[in-house]
Amino acid sequence: MIWVTWRQNRTESFFILGLLALGGIFLLLTGLSMTNTFQQSGLSACLTRPNPLTNCGGLGGAFLDHYGSLVNYIGVAVLILPVLLGALVGAPLVAREFEQHTHLLVWLQSITRTRWLIMKLALVLGMGLLVGGALMALLIWWYSPFAQLSGSFNQLAFDFSGPVLIASTILALALGIFVGTLTRRTVFAIFLTIAVLVAIRLPVEIGLRPNYQPQITVTWSFAQGDKPPVTLKAGDWNVGQGFIDAQGNKTNDVHVSGPQETLAQSLQADGYRGYYLSYQPADRFWTFQWIETSIYLIISLLALGATVLLVRRRMV
Amino acid sequence: MINALETTQLSKRYGRHWALQDCTLALPAGRVGALVGPNGAGKTTLLKTSVGLLTPTEGHVQVFGRSPVKHPTEALPRLGFVAQDCPLYKDFSVADLLTLGRKLNPRWDDHLARARMQKLGIPLDRRAGKLSGGQQAQIALVLALAKRPDLLLLDEPLASLDPLARREFLRTLLDATVEVGLTVLLSSHIIGDLERVCDYLIVLSASHVQLAGDIQETLQAHKRLIGPRQDVEAIARTHTIIETSHTERQSTLLVRTNGPLSAPSWDVQEVSLEDIVLAYLGQQETELPSSSPLAQKQNGMEVVQ
Repeated sequence: MIWVTWRQNRTESFFILGLLALGGIFLLLTGLSMTNTFQQSGLSACLTRPNPLTNCGGLGGAFLDHYGSLVNYIGVAVLILPVLLGALVGAPLVAREFEQHTHLLVWLQSITRTRWLIMKLALVLGMGLLVGGALMALLIWWYSPFAQLSGSFNQLAFDFSGPVLIASTILALALGIFVGTLTRRTVFAIFLTIAVLVAIRLPVEIGLRPNYQPQITVTWSFAQGDKPPVTLKAGDWNVGQGFIDAQGNKTNDVHVSGPQETLAQSLQADGYRGYYLSYQPADRFWTFQWIETSIYLIISLLALGATVLLVRRRMV
Repeated sequence: MINALETTQLSKRYGRHWALQDCTLALPAGRVGALVGPNGAGKTTLLKTSVGLLTPTEGHVQVFGRSPVKHPTEALPRLGFVAQDCPLYKDFSVADLLTLGRKLNPRWDDHLARARMQKLGIPLDRRAGKLSGGQQAQIALVLALAKRPDLLLLDEPLASLDPLARREFLRTLLDATVEVGLTVLLSSHIIGDLERVCDYLIVLSASHVQLAGDIQETLQAHKRLIGPRQDVEAIARTHTIIETSHTERQSTLLVRTNGPLSAPSWDVQEVSLEDIVLAYLGQQETELPSSSPLAQKQNGMEVVQ
């Protein structure tokens, strides 16, 4: 069954391995160049000092200016890659068998269909685990200069700086396989998988992620100026900042009625109470990683369990 | 004697539609059976249920005395199945397909598989999808045969083949059945193709078994009678009338004899298997389903235990 599964998915596997190899080489080259600059410019040495100057006298800013956009590209690529795996490997895995009626061939060999499915799942998910794990290790190394400068606890880097990357890869594959088994139509399953993944990951990342633990919110009055009274560490996640309105609620959407000299004065005149800053402290990073990993893995398990049930129920 | 395949009051429902109802039949070991019926009669459902692809809604299936659904690990190595349109992994080479068979079957006979491919002139390095429909059907058959099954079921294997490919396909099948004690059940919507290779007949129509029995005995038991219309009653008293057609003065009957036929006023003729099958299929259209198969099974030679 190992051989059969490999033979069936040879083309996709080569395609994805090729894609990963290209991505790997790109990460390796840019990563080496970044590490080099990071060391040569003295930024690395500056950051390891007990009390580094803010931005190390412009070095940090220069580094971010030079390499910052790369992080954005990689961040987007890391979001897309699991979706691609789920759609191209996961969705067709069982759907194509139903579509081409080859399940009628393979289910009448001497292995039970449950064993057939379990082997398929184990191999594909094992591959997902390896791909996700390797990518995670590579990206943690690649991102390490940025991690020292501004931390990994932000919307973008969180996705690839820990087990969440592996879990999201498994989630994409598991959902793809489930959707494919349910719909029995490859092309439809591919698009539905993408839609379902977006429908799950978007709310989790935007809605749930900042709130796995209650945010720490600092408020201060207009009289104290617009600078927050606390300084966030590099690893803290600035979740949001804005104003406190007359009712005491956080808001970013302010309406000023009267003309005053400064925005703060106008707001104060309209009853706004002051500023706020919400953040998640750096030491919660791993807790958050494991919470999100668990969410994705639980959904994956449900999807896989449902897949096994669908296949076992013999609705052919 | 143990039956290769046995179904007891087998029923299968899809939603509100009964694909198979109260289907009781037996295929003795060593037979080559023909499963005949019009499209939509439930042939595919019967075959899929027999190999454990489907779970019966009601009733039981036994393959050599064991349920293929409850004991798949025992049943699967003994079963061969060629599904409709002979599905294959189209991007596999023929050699890859044989490797698949070898890897997934403990009883796999690689020598047999390769010898057959050679005999058929099918190149091993060719992708299955690039081969003709006839060759793909042959590969599907060889894959099923090299499993060394004890019971082989084929779902409309001839439907998509041209006459030459049909003959070659049946020859491969016949060779195999002669070599080993293989029980076979082939489905088709026409009997003509199967008459030469089969010795057992099962007629399925409108989800019911209409007739099941040895072909020779079936041929001997069925007669066409032509005679005076007023004598039909007398015939019906001892024999079973399957089909009747009347002209003004005379009647033509297709009857299954339930004993010696003494009908001096009737002209008795032999009937072909095709006529018998058509008569049973025609009967289904004119009578209520409940009146035909069960009632006849009680007194006829086609009683299936």
